[in-house]
Amino acid sequence: MKILVTAKRVVDYNVNIRVLADQSGVDLNNVKMSVNPFDEIAIEEAVRLKEAGKAEEVIVVSVGVSQCQEQLRTALALGADRGILVETDEALQPLGIAKALKAVIDKEAPGLIITGKQAIDGDNSQTGQMLAALAGLAQATFASEIDLGEDSATVTREIDGGLETITVKLPAIVTTDLRLNEPRYASLPNIMKAKKKPIDIFTPADLGVDVSPRVKTLKVEPPAERAAGIKVESVEVLVDKLRNEAKVIS
Amino acid sequence: MLPDQVLSQLKAIVGPQHVLLESEDLQRFGVDRTTLWQANPCAVVLPSAVTMVQKIIRLANDCNLAVVPSGGRTGLSGGAVASDGELIIALDRINTVIDFNAIDRAVTVGAGMITADLQAFAAKHDLLYPVDFAAAGSSQIGGNIATNAGGINVIRYGMTRDWVIGLKVVTGAGDILDLNQGLLKNNTGYDFRHLFIGSEGTLGLICEATLQLTRPQADTTVMVLGIETFAAIVEVLEVFKTKIELTAFEFFSQAALDKVIKRQGHSAPFATQAPFYALIEFETRTQVTSVALALFEQCAAQGWVLDGVVSQSLAQTRALWRLREDISETLWHWQPYKNDISVRVSKMSDFLAEVDQLVAARYPDFEIVWYGHIGDGNLHLNILKPEDLPQTEFFERCGIVSLEIGELLARYGGSISAEHGVGLLKKSLLPYSRSPVEIALMRSIKKTFDPKSILNPGKVFDALV
Ligand SMILES: Cc1cc2nc3c(=O)[nH]c(=O)nc-3n(C[C@H](O)[C@H](O)[C@H](O)COP(=O)(O)OP(=O)(O)OC[C@H]3O[C@@H](n4cnc5c(N)ncnc54)[C@H](O)[C@@H]3O)c2cc1C
Ligand SMILES: Cc1cc2nc3c(=O)[nH]c(=O)nc-3n(C[C@H](O)[C@H](O)[C@H](O)COP(=O)(O)OP(=O)(O)OC[C@H]3O[C@@H](n4cnc5c(N)ncnc54)[C@H](O)[C@@H]3O)c2cc1C
Repeated sequence: MKILVTAKRVVDYNVNIRVLADQSGVDLNNVKMSVNPFDEIAIEEAVRLKEAGKAEEVIVVSVGVSQCQEQLRTALALGADRGILVETDEALQPLGIAKALKAVIDKEAPGLIITGKQAIDGDNSQTGQMLAALAGLAQATFASEIDLGEDSATVTREIDGGLETITVKLPAIVTTDLRLNEPRYASLPNIMKAKKKPIDIFTPADLGVDVSPRVKTLKVEPPAERAAGIKVESVEVLVDKLRNEAKVIS
Repeated sequence: MLPDQVLSQLKAIVGPQHVLLESEDLQRFGVDRTTLWQANPCAVVLPSAVTMVQKIIRLANDCNLAVVPSGGRTGLSGGAVASDGELIIALDRINTVIDFNAIDRAVTVGAGMITADLQAFAAKHDLLYPVDFAAAGSSQIGGNIATNAGGINVIRYGMTRDWVIGLKVVTGAGDILDLNQGLLKNNTGYDFRHLFIGSEGTLGLICEATLQLTRPQADTTVMVLGIETFAAIVEVLEVFKTKIELTAFEFFSQAALDKVIKRQGHSAPFATQAPFYALIEFETRTQVTSVALALFEQCAAQGWVLDGVVSQSLAQTRALWRLREDISETLWHWQPYKNDISVRVSKMSDFLAEVDQLVAARYPDFEIVWYGHIGDGNLHLNILKPEDLPQTEFFERCGIVSLEIGELLARYGGSISAEHGVGLLKKSLLPYSRSPVEIALMRSIKKTFDPKSILNPGKVFDALV
């Protein structure tokens, strides 16, 4: 079985985001870019399934600018076998990405597709679901455990207030939640080996898809700054402030 | 105990609520991170202004009261220990930003400011205060200056000394000195500022400091390599240092890694077991990373390196740093005897071979944990106390071996205290690093600034009589 996983290039989780002065978006100049953390989990899961003998090949896909090859190389170092870049400078939205991924599925016919449950840039949590709809495949979102069978997968899902276990027919789309696994570090020997692994590059036009945006961004604003904390002299002052200023007790 | 009359004068100077006498406070303020000495100060005073410090020092001179300056008490050599009825002066309330100037990239702060607060202040202004180490969340700028703290960025940014451009101190005689005033160029005779840096509270109370800030670091990439031998660590250091501007080159042994993983719940960097690990950090740039990869291949081909990983995100950079940064706190559990020694990097390889042989022969029954800022020629050689051995006996045995390490260091022109200072713990070793003439000169300098020897008597060298 082939497993297809995604590796989105996003602003690193630990970077302090700055909004551009004209409010058109966030400043990406000289900002550290990394693999979307939920995709790291997807890659790790696919590699573990391969290591367990449940899959023969792990293919990693990224949709975006040419530099996405860095994220593909990371995934290849982590154990994916080959990469596919759908290269475009277009501002990407979940629907466009899902269409590109659908085209890749049509080419590769994987038995399982694992994506992150969301990307930490837009926090949309839509790509996996849209992809399932476009491809007409089953979906199991927010997975914290995957038990892969011959022609079905049993997936434990993180839902409000508990866990839900479902079985889906393969091929299926699974999206990863945080508890699914703890991704490994990229080993240096594997990074060297990964240099020889192939990356195929297509444009959306090559795949016959239109990834242009459907949603228009009006403006981007940073969250309101939180006021600094203060120290109070006594419990009485604290109670007074909680009651009369913060109004959280009566 | 403190005479009533002195006590009331102290209360008059700082306000009654800022003289602490409760046993709990005396215990807390009376010791640093060494565990050998019992706290026994007579009182703790918390002044909030330099003039108050001056009045306290004058009072202490008048009644021959010994004074211990206290910072964050994260010190590892007993410099801030008050075990003999001393008065503790803690500058916790002199801890604010007094002046900041973006053109000078200089900030003046109260010496009681926590190191991490200064780092955060600099970051807020898009600048960097580059001295950093695992105790930065508790140590104070005054304590850092008094010990000339080093840390994890010395290979790139130097020691605390390199960032101090002004000091306001109250000498042991009670004079207020405004030293160097933040100037970059000031050739007007002896630079007393540098005498106070590293003086471990023996010359004066550091009350305010002006620090140079610099441009922030770019995001960094961290590699952790598994390394076969001591000699190979130095080879790897040399290879990397000549080709890349490193921001850190640290090392630790398998025993250190095992303990950190077990006690802190971190994940191992890779499955391969290696006797030693090097943590190498550099600013993230595509070309630099590819050079680093090539260097890794070169080191692997030589057989020096067994395996390795490289961070792919800032989260991984931080997680890999924890493997090194959490060692000191983790080892606390075993009440280690800490050697903090240095030699020139060029002599490291030969020195390591000899010191390894020495401790293996002398400590056959003790567990030895190696780590340190090896890129600076600095080794933290920790001997762990066997559970059933009483602490005094353990320290006695380690003390004897330390004399042999001292002799070895003297032969290599090394230092018996690379960054933790001398305090009480390393006093007997001082002659291995400093000549009798030098020590005599230190004493006469102390006498000049602190004629009645009220400041930290018995620290660094025995009290003057
Ligand atoms: C987990 C851990 C990791 C560490 N890592 C490092 C490291 O990597 N590099 C390193 O260099 N050190 C390290 N240390 C040692 C220690 O943190 C430093 O020596 C630090 O600079 C001490 O600062 P402090 O404020 O805690 O000083 P204290 O321990 O309070 O005092 C140290 C000395 O300075 C004197 N002093 C304090 N404040 C003043 C003042 N205002 N005026 C005059 N004298 C004063 C004291 O009398 C004493 O002699 C580490 C310690 C721990 C616990
Ligand atoms: C054209 C010109 C340009 C200059 N530009 C600069 C400049 O840009 N920056 C700058 O800082 N200076 C500058 N100077 C000043 C001068 O060159 C420096 O001060 C230089 O460092 C002096 O070195 P010297 O060997 O000539 O010392 P001398 O003039 O011989 O001595 C200077 C002092 O050092 C003492 N001294 C000399 N040798 C020793 C020793 N071995 N041990 C102990 N004490 C010793 C002497 O007793 C004297 O007090 C300039 C001078 C000239 C003429």
